[in-house]
Amino acid sequence: MNNLIVQTKDLSFSFGRQHTLQQVNMEVPEGSIYGFLGPNGAGKTTTLRLLLGLLKNQQGEIRLFGKPFASNRLETLRQIGSLIEQPSLYAHLTARENLHIYTLTYGVKTERIEEALAMVGLEKTGSKKAKQFSLGMKQRLSIAVALLHQPRLLILDEPTNGLDPNGIIETRELIKRLNTEFGVTILVSSHILAEVERMATHVGIIHKGKFLFQGPLARLQQLQTRKSLLQLQTGDDEAALQVLGKQFKVERQNGHLLLPFHSKQETAMINRALTAHNIDVYCLQPQQQDLEQLFIELTSN
Amino acid sequence: MNFITATHSELLKTKRTASFWLSVAGAALIPALFFVAYVSKSETMSVAMKANPWVSHFSTGWKVMSPLLFPMYIILICTLVTHIEFRNNTWKQVFAAPIPIGTIYLSKFVAIHLMIILCFVLFNVFMLLSGMGINLIRPDFTFLNRAVDWRFMFQLNVKMYVSILGISGLMYWAALRFKNFIAPLGIGLALLTVSLIALSYKWEYVALLPFAQPHLTLESAGKSGPFLQAAAVNSLLSCVAFTLLGWADLRFRKERG
Repeated sequence: MNNLIVQTKDLSFSFGRQHTLQQVNMEVPEGSIYGFLGPNGAGKTTTLRLLLGLLKNQQGEIRLFGKPFASNRLETLRQIGSLIEQPSLYAHLTARENLHIYTLTYGVKTERIEEALAMVGLEKTGSKKAKQFSLGMKQRLSIAVALLHQPRLLILDEPTNGLDPNGIIETRELIKRLNTEFGVTILVSSHILAEVERMATHVGIIHKGKFLFQGPLARLQQLQTRKSLLQLQTGDDEAALQVLGKQFKVERQNGHLLLPFHSKQETAMINRALTAHNIDVYCLQPQQQDLEQLFIELTSN
Repeated sequence: MNFITATHSELLKTKRTASFWLSVAGAALIPALFFVAYVSKSETMSVAMKANPWVSHFSTGWKVMSPLLFPMYIILICTLVTHIEFRNNTWKQVFAAPIPIGTIYLSKFVAIHLMIILCFVLFNVFMLLSGMGINLIRPDFTFLNRAVDWRFMFQLNVKMYVSILGISGLMYWAALRFKNFIAPLGIGLALLTVSLIALSYKWEYVALLPFAQPHLTLESAGKSGPFLQAAAVNSLLSCVAFTLLGWADLRFRKERG
C-alpha cells in the first residue's frame, strides 16, 4: 500500500445552511496523479481550499503527508504548490518579478526562477508585464509559481480552464512530466472527464458534496466495460429480436437494438447467428460507453 | 521566512504601483504650491516671514497638511497597498504560502509605514528645497540667511508621525476587511468628515477621534507639557488596539484568500 499524501476523514463543510461537502474521505496516494472530477459547484474547490487552509475546517480531519494539517500548517504548506481557480499573479510585474517574490516567500535560490520559467516555456517574456500575457501564459506562469519551490504535492484547480486545445495538451504533458520525472504527487481537479482519463492514475468523483467513486483509473474503466453496450441495426428487427432474445437481454431503442457487450468473439457470433437466419446486418457496433456517459449515470443516481 | 524578507517581498509588490508615486506627489503638493504662492506674493510674504522664515514655513506647511491632506494620504496608501492583493486575486497564494498569519499581517503594515515615512522624509526635503529655491529667485526672502532649526523640525515630524498612527491602524484593518476598494475609502472619508466637523465645533471628546488627532497634535505642538500630548498618546494607543483587532479578525476569519 502506498503512503497517502492526502487523507481526509469525514470532511464536511457548509456555507450557512448549504452543505457543500458531506463526509468526504479523500485518499491521494504518493506518486499518483489524482484526477478530482465533478461538475461545477460539486465541491471541488471547497475541498481544495480546505486542504490549503484557505477555509477553516468545520468538521472532520485533514492529514497531509501523514500529519494532521491543523497542527502542522507551515511545515505542510512548505511542501505544497498550488493553483486555485483563476491565475493569481501581480499584473503590474513581469514573470521574473512575480517569481522573485515567491523565492523570498519560500526561501529558494534565485536560480530556480529560470528553471521554473524554462519548465513552462516562458523564458523569453522579458519585460512584458503579466497583465499583457494571454490567459494560457498566465496559467503557465501560475504553474511556475506553484512548482518554484519543488513541492512534493501540487494542487491544481482546473488548470486547463479557458485554455485552447494546444494549451490543454501542453499543460497535460507538463503534469505528466512532473509526475514521472520529478515524482511530484499531483491533485488536479477538472470537470472534463476525457481530460482526467488521459493523465490520471487515480480518480475521485464528487457530486453535490459527496464522493461517488474513488480508486485507480483502471477500476473505473472496468466499471465502464461492464456497462458497455452493443448497438445493432438490421433489416428485420423483429426477427433479430426473436433470434437473440433467448440468449441476451435485448432492448429496442430509437430504431436499433441494444444488447450488453462482453467480448469481440461474442460480437462475431451474434453476426453469424443473424446471417444464418437470413437477417441483413447493417450495423454492428460495440458502443464503448465513455466516461462521460458513466459519469452521467453515476451522478444522476 | 523571517520578518525582514517578508517586508522586502511586500515592498517588491508595490513596484510600479500608484502607491510610490502617491507618496511622492503627496509630499510634493504643498511645497510646490507654497513656492508658487511665494513667487506671486513675494513682497508681502518676505516681510511677514523675515524674522523666522523656516519655522513659519514649516508650521504653515504642517497646518495645511495635518487636518486634511495627510489623513487623506493615509486613507489612500493603506487601501492601495492592501488592495494589490485583492486586485490581483493573490490573497489565496499568500495564505497558502508557509508564512505565519501574524507575519503576513505585520509585514504589509510595516511596508505601508515605510511608504508613509518616505512621504514624511520627502515632504521635509521638498519644503527645504522650496524655501531655498524661492530665495534664489527672490532675494528679499531670508531663508538662506537663517539656520534651519533641525531640532524643531525633527521633533515636529516625530509628533506628526505618531499622530497618524491611529488612522493607519484603523484604515489598514478596513482595507483588509473589504474586498471592494470603495468601502475602506468611503469609511475613511466619512470618518474624516465627522472629525472635521467635531474639530470645528470643538467637541469635548474630539481627541478620541483618530482623524482629528493629527490636527490636535499640531495645535498642541508649541505648548508646554509632555512631548506627546493627549491626542498623540490616543493615536498611539488606538493604533495598538486597531492592529490587534485587525490581526484577530484575520486570524479567526472563516475564509481567507
